[in-house]
Amino acid sequence: MIANLIDGPLWYFSLAVFSLGVLWQLVSIIFASRKPDLSVARGAAGPAALKTVFSRFLPHREIRPQVGIQYIAGYLFHLGLFALLFFAAPHVVFLEENLLGFGWTTMPHWAFIVSAQAAFFGLIILWLRRMVNPVSRLISTTDDHVAAILTFVVMLTGCLALLEGFEALRLLHRFTVELWLIYFPFSALMHTFTFIPSRAFTGAWFGRRGVDA
Amino acid sequence: MRFKTLLLLLCLLLPQFALADGPPKKPNYPEGVSSISPGSELWGAVRQRDGVLLDGVSQVRGVDAGILINEQGYRWARFRVSELTLYSAWALAGVLVLIFLIYVIRGKVGIEGGLSGNMVRRFSDYERIVHWVLAIVFLFLALSGLILLLGRPLLIPLFGKEVFSLMASASKEGHNLVGPLFLVSLLMMIFSFVRRNIYEKGDLTWLLKGGGFIGKDHVSGGFFNMGEKTWYWMVILIGLVISVSGLILVMPIFGQGRIIMEIAHVIHVIGALALIVVSIGHMYMGSIGTEGTLEGMKTGYVDINWADAHHDRWGRECHEKDLIVSAEEYARLVGKPSVDEADGRETT
Repeated sequence: MIANLIDGPLWYFSLAVFSLGVLWQLVSIIFASRKPDLSVARGAAGPAALKTVFSRFLPHREIRPQVGIQYIAGYLFHLGLFALLFFAAPHVVFLEENLLGFGWTTMPHWAFIVSAQAAFFGLIILWLRRMVNPVSRLISTTDDHVAAILTFVVMLTGCLALLEGFEALRLLHRFTVELWLIYFPFSALMHTFTFIPSRAFTGAWFGRRGVDA
Repeated sequence: MRFKTLLLLLCLLLPQFALADGPPKKPNYPEGVSSISPGSELWGAVRQRDGVLLDGVSQVRGVDAGILINEQGYRWARFRVSELTLYSAWALAGVLVLIFLIYVIRGKVGIEGGLSGNMVRRFSDYERIVHWVLAIVFLFLALSGLILLLGRPLLIPLFGKEVFSLMASASKEGHNLVGPLFLVSLLMMIFSFVRRNIYEKGDLTWLLKGGGFIGKDHVSGGFFNMGEKTWYWMVILIGLVISVSGLILVMPIFGQGRIIMEIAHVIHVIGALALIVVSIGHMYMGSIGTEGTLEGMKTGYVDINWADAHHDRWGRECHEKDLIVSAEEYARLVGKPSVDEADGRETT
């Protein structure tokens, strides 16, 4: 009964909420009304937008000692999670059989383990930094914590089900993935899709005003 | 040896031929016995009853592939299931009872004069991240490890075999995956805290006075006292032993045989158990056991009266260098709301 629900209706429902929610959020951002900028441009917006998209991948030299660990942990987590999501053999097989109809080369088991370890380590450090740094703690919302914890739980249930020998563990993992998909469009997790436009927008805004930042 | 293995295989595959050959010619049969089972001598050799390891020849390539039955493995399994499990459970139960008794008899260790509200910085953000990441990883490994070690006698009666098998599988996968992160956290801990944990003059006095438990005199301490330093070195040294033995177990690809794995397992369990038992005391002392201690790992700041009471040499240094911040300044630094005593207005 529960297994049928998780493998069937809940999966399609979560997928629909995720797809439509993300689409709706992106369309809302693109078509959000903005006041026309009447100021005289002091610089080109386009190149500045492009530059900011890439320059933000590394911390500014001045603040490197303060945010260094955040960047390292951020890369560990995001690259690890990306590798897990798209190159772990069980995920590729699942996507091929249930969604896409085609698959691709998967990473070896040892790479799977290393990716999972990197992702876990990075996420724990990122969340701890959010908790111990006074400024990060003050600007963190409940949504930030829920997003981090939910992602952690999804990863954890996935790793606990690594043996693929127990149906209950597989269902638990799939259920947490479905919760994650439903929560995704309405949360800080949307930064997956918005971080590049956001950087570009900030860069363009600064560039037009002649600010080199 | 090869002859014995060959003969064993012949006996297993073609028993009628072996029987047709009659009993092995052994000159010293017990009196009154005219024949014994032809397999008994072979079986005795296979089971290594004479203490000689029977290493035969096999087409299978790999470490210990020539060993038909791992007799040492039986001894290890019996030790793991009976003694190791039993003593582990007793050790855990014992320390919990001890902590409870200390709490009942001694209660929470307070600070003479109470907390002042004026604070001093003890740990940086990075140091606290290192501490907590090690704590989180350690707790996960301890819990999953204890499920694997004690689950059979303790959890099967509670949840049944089916649920336990699921828990054990999840614990094993989680334990193996998270294990290497403990080593990484440990290395971070070494580099972050080693300088302040080197033993110095005065530490022995702290030990001889039982950290204040023996006698009524105040025991002098620096930034870390003798007990904390000893705990630190326990974590590092035993932690390294656990990590290395864990890697031997989780990566059987470097030619380590079963005996090495069995020894590594016993060392892993005993080391981990020692850390778990002492960590329970550490958690107690760092939270409900001592007033004002947890604040150091929560916010990075401790009350100056706490520093004077437990780490007087470091406290004196803080006074001399004027490192003390007021309650209002502390609230601002850590982003906590501070109650203005004059009008009760809450400010941040």
